[in-house]
Amino acid sequence: MITPPPPATPEQKSVSTIRALPRFTLSQRWEHTVLLISVVTLLLTGLPQKYRATAWSQQILSTPERVFTIRNIHHMAAILLTFLVLYHLFRAIYLLSRRRLPGDMLPSLQDVWDAFQMGRYLLFLSERKPKFAKYNFEQKFTYWFLFFSIGIMVATGFILWLPITATRVLPGGAIPAAKMAHSTEAIVTGIFIVIWHFYHVHFERLNLSIFTGWLNDSDTRTYHPLEYERLTGEAAEPPQTGENL
Amino acid sequence: MRKHRATFPPHFLIPSVLLVILTGLILASPARAEETTHYCLSCHANPELSITLPDGEILPLYISEKMLQMSVHVQVGIECSACHEDIQTYPHPEIEYDSKRSLSRAYYLTCRKCHSVNYEKTLDSMHAKAAEQGNLEAPICTDCHGAHDVQKPNQPRSLISTTCRQCHEEIYTEYKDSIHGGALIQEDNPDVPVCTDCHGVHNIQDPRTEQFRVHQPDLCAHCHANAELMSKYNLPANVYSLYKLSWHGVDVAVYKARWPTIWHDTAVCSDCHGVHNIRKTTDPASSVHSQNLLGTCQKCHPTAGPNWVGAWTGHHEVSLDRTPFVFYTRVFYSSFTPFVLWLSVLYVVLQIIRSVAQQVRRSLSK
Repeated sequence: MITPPPPATPEQKSVSTIRALPRFTLSQRWEHTVLLISVVTLLLTGLPQKYRATAWSQQILSTPERVFTIRNIHHMAAILLTFLVLYHLFRAIYLLSRRRLPGDMLPSLQDVWDAFQMGRYLLFLSERKPKFAKYNFEQKFTYWFLFFSIGIMVATGFILWLPITATRVLPGGAIPAAKMAHSTEAIVTGIFIVIWHFYHVHFERLNLSIFTGWLNDSDTRTYHPLEYERLTGEAAEPPQTGENL
Repeated sequence: MRKHRATFPPHFLIPSVLLVILTGLILASPARAEETTHYCLSCHANPELSITLPDGEILPLYISEKMLQMSVHVQVGIECSACHEDIQTYPHPEIEYDSKRSLSRAYYLTCRKCHSVNYEKTLDSMHAKAAEQGNLEAPICTDCHGAHDVQKPNQPRSLISTTCRQCHEEIYTEYKDSIHGGALIQEDNPDVPVCTDCHGVHNIQDPRTEQFRVHQPDLCAHCHANAELMSKYNLPANVYSLYKLSWHGVDVAVYKARWPTIWHDTAVCSDCHGVHNIRKTTDPASSVHSQNLLGTCQKCHPTAGPNWVGAWTGHHEVSLDRTPFVFYTRVFYSSFTPFVLWLSVLYVVLQIIRSVAQQVRRSLSK
């Protein structure tokens, strides 16, 4: 049953429109969702396998059949992630060949300078945050960290899945090394995401633009002033405090 | 000087007399046993003495006195009738057994009178199960220990393996050529395992069961994780702890903890090293010698190629010479992991401090 809304107060009557600016394409939003689903599944099914000697893992994997089931789920999520990686790479190659690959995720000297400025700001040596473009150095670091981490995870994961096939090409010593890398890299990446990414998109401010595709006017102006200027042609006010007032 | 004559006061006499009587009683019992034994031997020392049992078997009734004297029982004065309870008189009662075997199987129960603990154990053994299933040849006390010539079963230690050999000839042949068997038989080594060290003594279990398999590494660890013992032979004592960290070892540990009654195919010590035929790893005939290792892996991983053996780190700590790939991976992560994680923690903490400071400043300026 739908209840009628309460009578509007004078303030609410004055409609304010919040302008939102485009940030992510539909393809990027889907890629992120698929990445999220596959990575969470891989972590949840991988951890009990890594910690099989512990009681909690044995509680979950309480029968030998469950060990096979969890391994199968892990493999299915791995295939999903592999397709995502291939899609992402081939799309980039395709766009590059058409000279349409946006270069804004590529690391540049500006990022080093921005990081230096940000360090000064955080140490109270400067009152101003650097002016960021579409992707700031934090976001680029997240992207490239995950890029290489997933590369390692996929490569070592397939070595562990098909070790006998792998040793037709690779020396045998690669198998235990892959096991160590797969297991350690997963933990490092998992903790990194929780500390770094969760802080930046959940605690610093709730940023859901990767799901909606749009970032509101004021956040764009505050956090990505150069992008704001590029999109609107208006001057973004220089952030006096580094905070969205 | 005055000569003193030794005199015994009367109150000294009573204990002395008691002492003499007691000593006499103690000395008298073997003498009496000897008497009974002599009495029995007056007939049974005759090598011709025998009877024919209903199934046609001839039961020799001859007892060699020489053999009897070697028995540990006779040496402590246990007489014939202690075991032959039903024969207390002459003429003897009629023998009611059809065959020699049924006679042995009836008489051995008398061991239980003194050795009840070990007797009870045998009831739980693989041998007792074989007998229950109708195999009357399954061993009873006297088959291993002897009847009239009971000896200490482990003197010398190699006697144990020759006792088992009576029935398990093939296994003995494998064992005598193994590193353990060779040291036992040739050098009378006191440390190497004999049959009973792994299989148990009176309650010997079926070694083909899930439970035996899942506990099998512990059997080897009993000696091979003992640093003191291993140092004596210049062997590493960390093989078991490293095995437990390996893919195989973790799997076996889970089965042991959770599913000991479910069969598992994960490799335990004996799958690679052999069972009774274990050899030195440097022996070209060893199943884990570098030349034979691939074949051993292929027992479980049939499609494995020659590079596969390199995947096996052996029971060795990670090291640059032996496992360079793992070594460098570990070097990388031992610096990369703390670097990345501390960097992100530091960065986020600084951001939180800065943002709190900013908010405080703003609220103060209002």
